[in-house]
Amino acid sequence: MHLTRLRGRVAFIFGEADFDVDQIVGVKNIKLKDPAELAAVAMQEYDAAFAASIKPGDILVGNHNFGYGHPHYPPMIAMRHLGIAAVVAESFSPGYWRGEIAMGFPQATCPGVLANVSRWDEVEIDWDNYTFHNHTTGKSLAIEPLSEGDRQMLACGGLIGYLKARDREEA
Amino acid sequence: MGTAGMTIAEKILARASGSSRVRAGDEIKARPDFVIAYDFPGYTDTIFRQMKEDFNVDKVADPERFALFIDHMVPAIAPHEEKLHKITRDWGAAQGVPVYERMGIGHQVAAEIGYATPGAFVVHFDGHISQLGTYGALAIGVRRHLLEAFVKERIQLKVPRTTLVELSGKPGPGVMARDVFHHIVRELGPSACRFHVLEIAGPALEHISLEGRQTITCLAMFTGAITAIIDPDDTSLAYSLPRARIKLEPVYSDGNADYAAVHRVDVSGLAPIVVIPPSPANTRNLTDYEGIEVQVGYLGSCASGRLEDLRIAAQVLKGHHIAPGFQLHVVPTSQAIMKAAAAEGIITELVEAGAFVSSSSCDYCFGRMGVMDEGQRAVSTGTLNVRGRMGSPDSEIFLMNAAAVAASAIEGRIADPRKYL
Repeated sequence: MHLTRLRGRVAFIFGEADFDVDQIVGVKNIKLKDPAELAAVAMQEYDAAFAASIKPGDILVGNHNFGYGHPHYPPMIAMRHLGIAAVVAESFSPGYWRGEIAMGFPQATCPGVLANVSRWDEVEIDWDNYTFHNHTTGKSLAIEPLSEGDRQMLACGGLIGYLKARDREEA
Repeated sequence: MGTAGMTIAEKILARASGSSRVRAGDEIKARPDFVIAYDFPGYTDTIFRQMKEDFNVDKVADPERFALFIDHMVPAIAPHEEKLHKITRDWGAAQGVPVYERMGIGHQVAAEIGYATPGAFVVHFDGHISQLGTYGALAIGVRRHLLEAFVKERIQLKVPRTTLVELSGKPGPGVMARDVFHHIVRELGPSACRFHVLEIAGPALEHISLEGRQTITCLAMFTGAITAIIDPDDTSLAYSLPRARIKLEPVYSDGNADYAAVHRVDVSGLAPIVVIPPSPANTRNLTDYEGIEVQVGYLGSCASGRLEDLRIAAQVLKGHHIAPGFQLHVVPTSQAIMKAAAAEGIITELVEAGAFVSSSSCDYCFGRMGVMDEGQRAVSTGTLNVRGRMGSPDSEIFLMNAAAVAASAIEGRIADPRKYL
């Protein structure tokens, strides 16, 4: 299934390994549901000007085992509301990965990414060739291929779309 | 050169996908033998609604494969919670799906009532279901993907690789299965088994009870694993086979199975471990943290809170009383465990020592009851120590074994249990 290339700027680099994504909105806000409210509290501990600096299509970069701990959905609901299009990390924690892929939110595993990006670089994810290009530096890296299920889920916009596509296929 | 053998996980998925052989990396559609969930807002209520509204599925296929547990928000403290339970009971009755209520924490009760059938493929949304791997079942927490199992007979997955951890040695007094697990995280790192099945084997298992093995397999996710599994042995089969809900031939890893990695971990000479806030990756020697003031103790959860945990806590507390002002919450993992502990006199001993003993519930573990205010610290056998897990985001949780929680309760400070044993 075809996946659209994603091109945007590196909006933020989470350098911490085993990063607990709940920190993005803060644990005290983890029960908020409204995307706008979540977006308003996101990243306050990291960069208070974050929301104002984001353009739709921007991409986050993470370190190893991104999403470790007990990840909840609100942090990335906030990020999507702000226009973030994907996360590229050295590697992901499976629970986080599964949760966000089910939401149709693209995640790309890219060993070596951290050493090859700076904040605000223009980067691109190419799902057909499984490569990550840094247009600012000219450097390209391989990303790990998606499983069939994950690829279909992203192509269908998430779990519901994927299951409906299976319904049509099996009908 | 013969063909590589299969791991126990590969054998289970081969059968569940109707093949004689699968290899790690294969894309398959597998039929879960059991589909398990506890009722929780955003999960079960949403799945019930989506199943009908988005997929026009009125009834799940083969309802006897499904099981629902009511173990969170028990007892209810607000009408909306009781409403959620009512939705679950009504849905179960309409579907012919059993609803197990107030029997204890579902992951434990599932083992007690036969869902830990050796060789079975089990899915849940919650990853701690991995503990059914103690009995040679492959039990995976798939988060919201669980919907797939409600609307399709088969779920799509990529056969995972397996990392083998061979345990050797014998843990000393005051060192428990929890310490063995935290030691595995310390030795291998918190991402060593990412997306793999963690298979546990080795001679040390002879010294680790089934309860202790459930502690280890329950916590597998903190190595990055998607589940954990142990080849059945006489001890586990003696427990699991008489209870098994379906007839399956137990399967075992082949000697020449293809593993992603094999690690040997020695547990002899291991000292009690504390996992300091705010991450399950923060494994430290407990002795380095002795003396830190703590106000709350929690002995319970799907990871710990079984008979051996209650028994050792009572042994540590014998002849002592918990520190003035200290709150020690003891919550047996299931009502069956509560009953056994009562029959053994353990509950009496815990209460005499000042413990506050509650009926089985998940609620103390995730900050719904017995919550802390900012600045407070807990010693806990719960699953997790992330910020805000047991109350204020500015409270802290130190994870440790049941004996250490009891010793810390006596002193009001983190304490080494070995001096009380």
